[in-house]
Amino acid sequence: MTLLVKNLPFILQGIGMTLALALATLLISTMIAFILGILATLRFRWLRWLVKAYVELFRDIPLIVNIFFVFFVAPLFGMELSPFAAVTVGLSLWGSANGTEIVRAGFASVPRHQWQSAAALGLKPWEVYLFITGPQALRSILPPFVGLLTLLVQATSLGALVGVSEFFKVGQIIVERTTMMEGWNPAFTVYGAVLLIYFVICSALTWFGRWLERRLKNDQRRPASVGPLLVKPLTQLP
Amino acid sequence: MEFDLAYLMAQGPALMRGLWLTVQVSAISIVLSIVIGLMGAAVRVLKLPVLDKLVVGYVEFIRNTPLLAQLFFIFYGLPTIGLKLSLFWSGVLSLTLWAGAYQVENIRGGLETVAKGLREAAFSLGLTPWRFFRLIAAPMAIRVGLPSMLNTSISLLKNSSYLQAIGLAELTYVAIDRISMDFRTIEMFVAICVIYLALVLVLSVFANRLENRLNKPFRV
Repeated sequence: MTLLVKNLPFILQGIGMTLALALATLLISTMIAFILGILATLRFRWLRWLVKAYVELFRDIPLIVNIFFVFFVAPLFGMELSPFAAVTVGLSLWGSANGTEIVRAGFASVPRHQWQSAAALGLKPWEVYLFITGPQALRSILPPFVGLLTLLVQATSLGALVGVSEFFKVGQIIVERTTMMEGWNPAFTVYGAVLLIYFVICSALTWFGRWLERRLKNDQRRPASVGPLLVKPLTQLP
Repeated sequence: MEFDLAYLMAQGPALMRGLWLTVQVSAISIVLSIVIGLMGAAVRVLKLPVLDKLVVGYVEFIRNTPLLAQLFFIFYGLPTIGLKLSLFWSGVLSLTLWAGAYQVENIRGGLETVAKGLREAAFSLGLTPWRFFRLIAAPMAIRVGLPSMLNTSISLLKNSSYLQAIGLAELTYVAIDRISMDFRTIEMFVAICVIYLALVLVLSVFANRLENRLNKPFRV
């Protein structure tokens, strides 16, 4: 316990780093996921295959290999990435592959007749995406994205392997330091505490995801749904 | 830096040894995790008083903590309180506990689909709970839960690469080790990516076959 109190600033720094890493990755993944996910809903078959190949490739290769790949290969092409950047890129590749699948499935869950009736009313394709299918898809997309964030928080622990001083690495350093300086090995306590703190963070996120899911499901019964703001312009169309 | 096939060939035996270890660890862990999954799911479906809560806690804990931290807790933490396991078995234990939590949910999901009426019918015909479970519930549940069980198994196979962090010389460890010695980065990454993709492909083809076979009697 004294060990934890003594290292508190260090630990908080590590947690901050973990969250920063997770959020940065989530942002990048979300952007790529929406672009690729929407591309996958378009009519071009080869485009769909391309997206599918991307998704499958990064889902089937172990995440560790992915991160090491970015870390070791980028310098060969003259890009000296910092460990932080390398982990962000490696995790983003993985996160966006999973996110793409979520977005694609989200759009697929919107009934086809929504598209057809919107088109019949004379909406342009981008208007259909923005005002009709998008908001509906968002409802099934948001909860799994919170789940993805939970996984990303856990996955950032892999940063320790290439030397990012995120939360897990902090735990490792505390163990080593204490063993060296005070002559006893606190591995059980420290790694136990590390597990507990991850558990608290991720449980909170999981809980939030479930709450969001319930919330959005309830909304489905009411006419005013996900974003009244997003849907509003539709009432002004002729 | 051009692609050096001869180098890759020369590393073949080392990679194969790593692959063999990966396959061993994964196979043992997959089997054990399914055993845990079956037991945990049985506890949850039968709603045994205290055990039920324990299983829920276990599942939630594993799902909300990183595998890497679990692995370090088992490999570095447990020996300090007198529980020493070898490198290999620490790896197997952590992968088993990790995948076991997911398997509990997968199998439970399958079991829940077995209708309540079916259980009552079986009991009124004089089947013991155990025979009902073995003869009726389990076969039906496995058919439903199998795809997600195989998915978890595939994840386990990929996650066996975590064991390189504690120094078990499986596939990823061998590759990273070679890279730090010879700097033939591209060759090694191509090699292990191809091997992992092949492993995943083999498992998923097997999964599809199995699903098809189990679904055969139910097709119209």
